[in-house]
Amino acid sequence: METHMEELLRILKELRPDIDFNEKKALIDDGVLDSFDIVALVGEIGETFDVQIGVEGLVPENFNTVQAILGLINRLRDGE
Amino acid sequence: MSLSSASFLIFLVSTVALYFLVPKKLQWMVLLAASYFYYLSYGVKIVGFLLTTTFTTYVGGLLLGELNSRRKIRVKQLGREASSEEKKAVSDRFTGNKKWVVAGILLINFGILAAIKYYNFAAENTNVLLGLFTDASFPKVNWLLPVGLSFYTFQSAGYVIDVYRAKYPPERNFFKFALFVSFFPQIIQGPISRFDQLAHQLYESHAFSFDRLKYGLQLMMWGFFKKLVVADRTAVIVSNVFGNYQKYSGAEIAFGVFMYCIQIYCDFSGGIDIIRGIAQILGIDMIENFQRPYFATSLSDFWRRWHISLGAWMRDYLFYPLSLSKPFGKLGKYARKKLKGNLGKILPVSLVTFIVFFTIGIWHGASWKYIAFGIWNGGIITFSVINAPVYEKALKRLHINPESTCWKLFQILRTTVLVFIGRYFTRGEDLMTALRMLKRTVLHFDLRNLAGNVLSLGLGAFDLLVILVCCTVILGIGYLKERGVHIRKTLEERNMLVQWLVLLAGLAVIAFLGIYREGYIASEFIYKQF
Amino acid sequence: MSSKKWFVMFIITVLLLTLGVAGMNILVDPFGAFGDKVMQWYTYDFTKNPRVAKIAYMDQHKEEYDSFIVGSSSTSSFPVEQLDRYMNARFYNLFMYGADMYDVKQTTQYIINNYKVKNLVLNLGFINAMRYKVESDPYTGSLHYKTEQSSQFDFLKKYLFANPSYSLEKLRAYKNDSYLQNKYKVFEVGTGAYDKSSRDVENIQAMPDYLEKYPVFKSYPKDRHNLGSIDELIEDTKLIKALCDKNNINLLVLFPPMYNEYVQNFSPQQLTEVYTRLAEVTDFWDFSTNSLTSDCRFFYDSTHFRNAMGKMALARIFGDNEIYVPEDIGVYVTSQNAAEQAAAMSRPISMDDESYTKKVPVLMYHDIAPKSTGPLVISTQQFEAQLKALAGDGYTGVSIQQLLDYVEKGSELPEKPVVITFDDGYLSNYELAYPLLKKYNMKATIFVIGSSVGKDRYKDTQNPITPHFSYGQAQEMLKSGIVDIQSHTYDMHQWAPFEEGKGEGKARTSITRLEGEAEDAFIDNLQKDISLSRKNILEETGNKVMALAYPLGKYSEVSEVVLSRLGIKATFTTKAGTNTLIKGLPQSLRAMNRFGITEDISPEELLERIK
Repeated sequence: METHMEELLRILKELRPDIDFNEKKALIDDGVLDSFDIVALVGEIGETFDVQIGVEGLVPENFNTVQAILGLINRLRDGE
Repeated sequence: MSLSSASFLIFLVSTVALYFLVPKKLQWMVLLAASYFYYLSYGVKIVGFLLTTTFTTYVGGLLLGELNSRRKIRVKQLGREASSEEKKAVSDRFTGNKKWVVAGILLINFGILAAIKYYNFAAENTNVLLGLFTDASFPKVNWLLPVGLSFYTFQSAGYVIDVYRAKYPPERNFFKFALFVSFFPQIIQGPISRFDQLAHQLYESHAFSFDRLKYGLQLMMWGFFKKLVVADRTAVIVSNVFGNYQKYSGAEIAFGVFMYCIQIYCDFSGGIDIIRGIAQILGIDMIENFQRPYFATSLSDFWRRWHISLGAWMRDYLFYPLSLSKPFGKLGKYARKKLKGNLGKILPVSLVTFIVFFTIGIWHGASWKYIAFGIWNGGIITFSVINAPVYEKALKRLHINPESTCWKLFQILRTTVLVFIGRYFTRGEDLMTALRMLKRTVLHFDLRNLAGNVLSLGLGAFDLLVILVCCTVILGIGYLKERGVHIRKTLEERNMLVQWLVLLAGLAVIAFLGIYREGYIASEFIYKQF
Repeated sequence: MSSKKWFVMFIITVLLLTLGVAGMNILVDPFGAFGDKVMQWYTYDFTKNPRVAKIAYMDQHKEEYDSFIVGSSSTSSFPVEQLDRYMNARFYNLFMYGADMYDVKQTTQYIINNYKVKNLVLNLGFINAMRYKVESDPYTGSLHYKTEQSSQFDFLKKYLFANPSYSLEKLRAYKNDSYLQNKYKVFEVGTGAYDKSSRDVENIQAMPDYLEKYPVFKSYPKDRHNLGSIDELIEDTKLIKALCDKNNINLLVLFPPMYNEYVQNFSPQQLTEVYTRLAEVTDFWDFSTNSLTSDCRFFYDSTHFRNAMGKMALARIFGDNEIYVPEDIGVYVTSQNAAEQAAAMSRPISMDDESYTKKVPVLMYHDIAPKSTGPLVISTQQFEAQLKALAGDGYTGVSIQQLLDYVEKGSELPEKPVVITFDDGYLSNYELAYPLLKKYNMKATIFVIGSSVGKDRYKDTQNPITPHFSYGQAQEMLKSGIVDIQSHTYDMHQWAPFEEGKGEGKARTSITRLEGEAEDAFIDNLQKDISLSRKNILEETGNKVMALAYPLGKYSEVSEVVLSRLGIKATFTTKAGTNTLIKGLPQSLRAMNRFGITEDISPEELLERIK
């Protein structure tokens, strides 16, 4: 079974095949991901991890790195 | 008090002096007093609108903050053992109440905005429809239009929504909050700032710093340069061509519209530079509102570089909530099932994009032309998103490297043309005029004797040359910035004489080539009927 | 460099630039606000802001004048020279374009309180009742602080720190300045009036041509203008009248001529109100509605009439019989006839064109010979046949003086006038043409080239040429009253092949600027040449030169202005066509057309052409 990290990277890869997500540290601030990508990403994450990311979660800090995204998913799964 | 008037400069110098002379704890009060003094200079009655917005959003923020903290306490009370279902039920109860509060506050504030800006437009169009059935009609009302209305309304609405989302606790001091809404350099033309980015800077104390003073002055000079030397100069041709487009051939109209592209960029971004420069002197960093939009490679890229604070506002408070809302979620699922390929994936997002640009169009003003402007931008962006895979394939087929300079240049040119077409709508008298001008541009594009005719549009060869040289300077500096060169730092490393010459040149250009009086046109002699 | 140092540098630079701008604004003084003491280019200053610059100028020259005429731009068309003559005074035209009653009142108060004033002429256009105290532009439309009694500090601040572009613009204009009146210098400094040198030499003849040039009159826009400031007009006139009475100043109030279709745009009620209320305050002369106001040729736009019209108006007031004045040109309005006069304004006028215009053909001959040797050399036989035909068809040969009298004094011309002219002054004109002219009693005019009078060899190079008659012979012809001698220039009709040391384009074959010749030098040469031609003719024959035929028919606006300033009242070109002379409009004598006559034109054909 895939780890959450692997699953997330697969989703990201599918979304943007041109980006090496392990390298990038400021996905939002540097404009790597635009608002279209974010919306698509939130949709995919929602289905895959069975969590709902609300609008209030859509801040750069939560999406700038893969680790941050994973953190967000874990927090939501813990039902905070 | 316009930013380029002598009285504003006097007001500014006194404010800055006072700001750094009073005890540090009182600095924010100086800003508040200055902000209201400044706003009052535009009229006494309009302050009522500003106060209404300040008061309602302040109270709204407090209510929402109260509900947030109560919810937190209740959830805590449930304890660790409670199931997530139970927690959710408690949350939902509070969310329901919060929704009522936020809806009420937004309704009041956008209601004022709508009433003032859009009532006449709505009434006029409704009357046309009504006219088909009855004689009854909505009367036209001459509202007094508070300056900066849409800017401060959006700014404080953003605050209320953020508090609703529990992004930060509300501001409890009414006067401090009033300063956030009315901060003088920005209230008239933005940028639309965020509370968490700006407010604390307004309330903190700031020590005087020559570095900040220098950078602030330099930024202001750059702003005045763009506004007084370029924008106000192109304005002569722009108002002439848009005012008498019937007299001109397509090529001349196109030239006039192109001048308008220059004018609106230099005027708007120049104003923002002045505003940010003032804030910088006061020790406050304001967000950027422009990022060299003339280098945009696509229309959506353009909107990320142009009036950034509005785009970001629309993204955070309209695009995301709509995209993630239930109806659009359902639509997304449905589309993915029924439609194959890319279209199915992005249909809902495209639809939201379209709505956002439609709203941006309406935000600009109440007129069909702005709606057309919104549709034009939304339409092009949606279209290009939907067809993105097609382009990719085509590029591969044609063996074009998407990273090559030529391709980038082509993209910039293409974007410029798209923006250029959109400008017919923002500046044209009304929708029909804009369309007629477009038609004339296409059908009567007559290049014969263009050089001579361009000289007949209101500016002589000298002024046109000034515009050309200045635009080249602006583009050149923009290019260096795009490449990451720190121009001010590079300059600072030079010796004193060089620095002084640059300063002298800058000030002299503004003093001698600036059109710092409304209606001043070098070649115009008001009396011709001798 | 530290930021502190940079800031000090910034402040110093700003101060330096501010001082620099202020200094330049004082030295160049584009609005004449500081008296323009350095450049003294007042015509520019007046053009830029007459309200400020004229007062600043007059403060320096008040000793030279004792009377003033005040009003808006139509005031300019009442010539002050004429007022000086009639009133034995030294008038200055203090008009300000676009002046409303506020401007007029403030300016009048200032001059009465600060200058010695004997006479005051107040010209009230409708503009003075349309708006009040509207400053069109803070720099170019504002009053002098002295006249407005406003803050001197604000005034100085405004003009000291005015946009330096204004000064640069003045310097640029100064550098590119040229002889002709220009958009940036539309005033005559000495009189304060508009410089109408170009307008006064415009060729104005047939109506259709004029409408092409001034299309606004083709179908004059119908509109409704509101006289919203009648109260202010009345109150301020009252005030000015009282001030004049108190200071023993002779006050003359005028209503200027206005294009009749423009007058129709005002409401009759308001016109009546203006006239009846004004007549309560003072009597005034009304020129707004005379028969000529329906002829747009006397106007260059609706409210701006030509100087010729102003001249007639003044002649009417002061009973000058030397000048043509249509009977109905002005009415003296008192409270008795004010309402009646106002009512007359709203009645459209149309005028019978025949009563004050006349078609006059001009014929152009050169050499006459027993036998024609080329198209321009007419055989004696053909010439006589042509004269016979003209006389037979009822034509009367008229002199240029007769044309002048028609235009200036309104003297009538014969029913079918014709002007016969000869260019160059060939001996054949004396030997062959003169006897025939006498025989048929046809007046004619010969335009002589001064340098070749009495010669049969080309000057300097001594090449043989067609012989020319002498001054003695000219005098003999003049005495007969049949032939008049006028100018064809002294030496501006050179023949290139015979000129020594002058290559192609260097010989002066006509009144045209040579290639590479500076404007100043050209004007200087032209003035010298014409003065010499006139001097010789006057000294040798006693005849005064007032007309000139352009060599090769070539002329320019510059040459017209120069000649007019030298007193040449009629000029002739070689453009074929008849002429329309207009009584009261001397412009109808400028650049007149002439039919060039060649040997092959039969008498019948000639009559057909000039019909």
